[in-house]
Amino acid sequence: MKSILIYLMLISTCLFASQTKSWAQNPAAAAPQTKPIVIKNATIHIGNGEVLQNAAIRFENGLIVAIGAGIDESNAEVVDAANKHIYPGLILPHTITGLTEIQAVRSTSDFSEVGMFKPNIRSLVAYNTDSEIIPTLRSNGVLILQTTPRNGIITGTSSIMEADGWNWEDAALKADEGIHMNAVRFYGYNFFTGQMSKNESHDISIQETERFFQEALSYSKNTNISTKNLKFEAMKGLFDGTKRLYIYADFAKEILESIQLAKKYGVQKIVLVGGNDALLVADFLKENNIPIILERIHRLPIRNDEDVYLPYKLPALLKKEGLMVALAYDDFEPMGSRNLPFLAGTAAAYGLSKEEALMTITANTAKILGIDDKVGTLEKGKHATLIVSEGDLLDMRTNQITHAFIRGKKLDLDDKQKRLYQIYKQKYASQTK
Amino acid sequence: MKHFYTLLSFCLYLFSSTLQAQVVTHTQNYSVNDVRTGYYAFTNATIYTDYQTKLEKATLIIKNGKVEAVGTNLSVPAGATEIDLNGRYIYPSFIDLYSNYGVVTKGYSGNTDGQFLESPDKTALHWNYAIRPQLNAQDLFTVNGGDAKNWRKNGFGVVVTHHQDGIMRGTGALVTLADGKAQEVLLQGKAAHFLDFDKGTSPQDYPSSLMGSVALLRQTYLDADWYKKATDKKEYNLSLEALNNTLSLPAIFAVEDKLSLLRADKVGDEFGIQYIIKGNGDEYQRLQEIKATGAMLLLSLNFPDAYEVEDPFDAKMLSLEQLKHWEMAPANAAMVSKEGITFAFTSNGLKNMDDFIKNIRKAIEYGLSETEALKAITFTPAQIIKAQDKVGSLTQGKLANFIITSQPVFDKSSTILENWIQGKQYILKDINDDIRGNYNLSLSNGESAKIIIAGTPDKLDVKIDKNGTTQNADFSLKEKLISLQFSLNDQKYRLSGWVEGKNLKGIAETDNSSLKWNATFESAYSPTAEEKKENSPIEVGKVVYPFTAYGNAEIPKTGTYLIKNGTVWTNEKEGILKETDVLIKDGKITQIGKNLNANGATVIDATGKHVTCGIIDEHSHIALANVNEGSHSSTAEVRMGDVIDSESMSIYRQIAGGVCAAQLLHGSANTIGGQSALIKLKWGFAPESMKIPNADGFIKFALGENVKQANWGDGYRTRFPQTRMGVEQFLNDVFTRAREYETLSKTKGAIYRRDLNMEATLEILNQKRFITCHSYVQSEINMLMKLAESFNFRVNTFTHILEGYKVADKMAKHGAGGSSFADWWAYKMEVKDAIPHNPALMHSQGVVVSINSDDTEMARRLNQEAAKAVKYGGVSEEDAWKMVTLNPAKLLHLDSRMGSLKAGKDADIVVWSDNPLSIYAVVEKNIIDGILFFDLEKEAEKLQSVEQEKARIIKKMIDAKNGGASTQKAVGNKQREWHCEDVVDWFKEKQISEEYIKE
Repeated sequence: MKSILIYLMLISTCLFASQTKSWAQNPAAAAPQTKPIVIKNATIHIGNGEVLQNAAIRFENGLIVAIGAGIDESNAEVVDAANKHIYPGLILPHTITGLTEIQAVRSTSDFSEVGMFKPNIRSLVAYNTDSEIIPTLRSNGVLILQTTPRNGIITGTSSIMEADGWNWEDAALKADEGIHMNAVRFYGYNFFTGQMSKNESHDISIQETERFFQEALSYSKNTNISTKNLKFEAMKGLFDGTKRLYIYADFAKEILESIQLAKKYGVQKIVLVGGNDALLVADFLKENNIPIILERIHRLPIRNDEDVYLPYKLPALLKKEGLMVALAYDDFEPMGSRNLPFLAGTAAAYGLSKEEALMTITANTAKILGIDDKVGTLEKGKHATLIVSEGDLLDMRTNQITHAFIRGKKLDLDDKQKRLYQIYKQKYASQTK
Repeated sequence: MKHFYTLLSFCLYLFSSTLQAQVVTHTQNYSVNDVRTGYYAFTNATIYTDYQTKLEKATLIIKNGKVEAVGTNLSVPAGATEIDLNGRYIYPSFIDLYSNYGVVTKGYSGNTDGQFLESPDKTALHWNYAIRPQLNAQDLFTVNGGDAKNWRKNGFGVVVTHHQDGIMRGTGALVTLADGKAQEVLLQGKAAHFLDFDKGTSPQDYPSSLMGSVALLRQTYLDADWYKKATDKKEYNLSLEALNNTLSLPAIFAVEDKLSLLRADKVGDEFGIQYIIKGNGDEYQRLQEIKATGAMLLLSLNFPDAYEVEDPFDAKMLSLEQLKHWEMAPANAAMVSKEGITFAFTSNGLKNMDDFIKNIRKAIEYGLSETEALKAITFTPAQIIKAQDKVGSLTQGKLANFIITSQPVFDKSSTILENWIQGKQYILKDINDDIRGNYNLSLSNGESAKIIIAGTPDKLDVKIDKNGTTQNADFSLKEKLISLQFSLNDQKYRLSGWVEGKNLKGIAETDNSSLKWNATFESAYSPTAEEKKENSPIEVGKVVYPFTAYGNAEIPKTGTYLIKNGTVWTNEKEGILKETDVLIKDGKITQIGKNLNANGATVIDATGKHVTCGIIDEHSHIALANVNEGSHSSTAEVRMGDVIDSESMSIYRQIAGGVCAAQLLHGSANTIGGQSALIKLKWGFAPESMKIPNADGFIKFALGENVKQANWGDGYRTRFPQTRMGVEQFLNDVFTRAREYETLSKTKGAIYRRDLNMEATLEILNQKRFITCHSYVQSEINMLMKLAESFNFRVNTFTHILEGYKVADKMAKHGAGGSSFADWWAYKMEVKDAIPHNPALMHSQGVVVSINSDDTEMARRLNQEAAKAVKYGGVSEEDAWKMVTLNPAKLLHLDSRMGSLKAGKDADIVVWSDNPLSIYAVVEKNIIDGILFFDLEKEAEKLQSVEQEKARIIKKMIDAKNGGASTQKAVGNKQREWHCEDVVDWFKEKQISEEYIKE
């Protein structure tokens, strides 16, 4: 009986799909670039702080071949972008987008595995290219995502994914590039009463974390392993510098303790995520060359007495300290991360220049994630991963993406929400006729 | 056999006048009739017969447990035992009105998981387990020797004890702290009636919030009144009957903070009851409002310990509020007293009872007069429970309840030596002769030294001085026997001895010999400079309003402002006016035009800036103590206006984002939630003065996943309704019953049970209260409109309304507004079809559309959220701006006075650095009702003063720690931020949190 039901459901789904073209599904993955493309007459924001007025960009086979004035238009499909702006495709670090569809529905969530130490858990293989959320991010300019597991102390391994592709293999820009860690908390917090308390298990958790790093390091030096340990295998890259360690910490003591711990065991590349108190330990971060990914600066200060605008000001304040800053959204709302450009806009309203603010979601992010050889700026030889907007990308008044390319592939900017909009717009239009 | 006892009891009764401190009706086992009258005369003492009458060299005569006489020229009567108290002090013993002495809590102790709709007690009581006015402490009270000893040690003679559990807790009994039989020590069975907002151990879901508790109290008072008057009632209710019998007693209400103090008083006012309120020691933070309640107070002496702040990272975890409260809590009583508020102290809340007198002394150091302090532990508590004829002073006929102290009781070095209760002596410390002074010691081996005996008579500080080198010696004096140990020239000496006249003498032992010693009195003790030092009252910082960072030193006032030369978004037919001035005065806009004359107004230059009316958040949960009374499917009786939290930092953060007003909504945990509060974000004002006067009433409805408990877990599958089908029937039934209730209430002469839930529901049907309905999917939206139409009313606003775009035409026809998120979706199943073009589509069909926050953070960027209507769906900038100003004003029926810039409207004005829809726009000024609440220019200065104030107190705290003050770990508290989906049993959560912290 059950199988009959499923069969009936399948039939009805198929019928429905055939009747309303691509309803409730995403546009097809974009086809590879076959012909050179030139976009001209645009204001081009390189992503490194430079702006080219009335300039053009040419890309072939997915790579940028020329940028600036007097660009060769031969054999190319030419797009006139007069009064428009070109930007590098935006990069969203530290996200669970692609690992969850509707967070309240448990069956659609794949970002939190059991266990406290699980570096072997890979987001790569669960990245859902068919997520209906991803196209809505593209519509606002987000083209690259660092998709990241959550929870526990070592939460897992992230991969850098493109916001387009038939499957995760297609979409992977850099697989298994980093390991993520939640700093052991000093404080507990009761969400409902607002009471904070000392985390009584802090010391035990730190000891366990130390032991884990210690043994992983020893394991990595052993050339003659008889019993393989997948967790320690996954950790190896931290010690030889092929993987980054992303440490999530907000309070000063948590930042210091967790970074010290990682350094003690020879972790080569460390990135701080969260970093509310980064300003308090700016010298430490600078001396140790630790960049910062700030989580959703559209948030409240974490302490009652902090400057009401502190989260907005942090990018500028940290930059002033000589630290490298990128912006992320946060765990709670993958669907909200399409607002990434507006986080940068806020950073610009509170101290950064607009081009500096743009860097926090393009060039800086690429550097921090170790993908700046491919993306993050519009420079010759890099991926033609870029967007065209009617106006200033960082302001919602003017952010209107008209074109988006990933490695030269022209994206269909349709998404579920736009389709529903069109359907009901037509419904009302037909009623007034 | 039984007859024998009765006879015996009768005989004992006959002799009762001669038997003292023995229960008259009780049989007992004794050898001979040991009758004692307890006839004593205490002579030569300094006696405080009451808090303001001090008699020197006076005599107190007691007999049979009562004061027989007190005065200065009394002779010791024959037969009385004289106790010479030369140099000692006598005070009436202390009274504590708030205790559970000898009463064991009979709370619910079973499982509390999952849905709990009914009381676990199935007897003929109130339906809610937290309402137990039928409990009388007198029935539960037994003498608890151990506890009594601890009370006595600290100077208490009587307490009122009650069963500390639940909202209505029943009556408390006045008992003495003597260790006799319960029959002897129980003085007054029903001394007061006790209340609290906390439901305690009750497992029932209702109430799960502060506003639920308030509503339950209201309804219970109404029920009791109905129960008294109704002639044809269908129930016999022991709780209501008991409540009616306790209403004439003093009612003591315990609250957890200053705002709940105001809340409790307001409930009392509604029913003509003036509660006596036990606060939590933060009364000084809202003193004017508290004074205005007219309530007598029980003040806590629970002063926070200093925090460990040496580590700057740790110190940063603490809020200014925590630091300031540490500094100011000891000054609370002085400040309360200065306002002329009648108060008594209670030891309730102290971790250690020994801190009671210590902390009163501290309060005196912080400016409380000694007379007021004594009054608050003797006279006032007696007065509150109308027991002045028995306790609280020492005049003829009062209970012989008094303490004997070594020095004036509030002196730091004073000790309570004895505590007499009902004429019965309890010795706490031996009364010794004063042997302080300098002595010349000589030992029979030829050794000599000086003995210096200083300190207080009851806590001697003894030193041995050999040729100017002093050492501390171990010394004890009991009765007239001395023991003393010290070392001289590497020899240990152990001395025993006695007082002989003015001198001391005795025998001594060293490690190898037995000796004799004597010490001759040389000179009298004279206090050292340090001991003599008189402390001037300790200085503390200033109270700020609200009591948190960025609080105002004074409550801000309206100003006259000319905002010059800005780009003015009028939201009227004039549209956006360039280079235009706005003049405001007395809280209203008086003129808009070019080149207006300042006429003494403060000029705000808005050249190159944008000037708009303030943002109105149609859907907010800030500044609330709780958000959901998510227990019953309809809680129409609860009022968010009862739980406004004026101290919330969210208010300040949002005025910094251009918001001027908000609808504070109940959450969405049930189909009919509570009644909204409409407030202006007047930072520093008290809750009642934030409310928008004469605003229409609104109420929260909710549909969909939340009300059917779809995401609450498996323990929640029983509350009706569990489906969207059930929701319709539930509402249909509620509306039907409300109509029937109306008929009943209009019947002439009918004595009916007033039902606050029904009354609120009826207001909806009669278009006197308006619905803001949480809703997502088109089917449920359509359902509610059709149902409302069938009952002949209209739904005012659908909020969230993320599928409103699918039924926008129907909404427009019905006349419902839509208050939407700008771009939220995909966080739960019912929002999978939400689209950011929703506001634009609804707007296109003529629906009045607002964009709301439902989020403390997003609310301060509502201007940006409005801009998304431009991005998604191409709404004009002017219309988009109206979605966070004029349109919410319309939906809240406030558009005649708010939501646009026009002469005569409220002066709610924001000056922006840029086009307000731009991400780059920053709020420079926020004026609400003509009061400048936020000024960007002053921000840096404010932040600096917060830091300076914290640094000042931290330094003081470190000094306190170094001075030996007890400390606690530096752990902060965070702002609570509510969303409408936050379902929590507030009281249970608090218990968990408190237990966690205790661990």
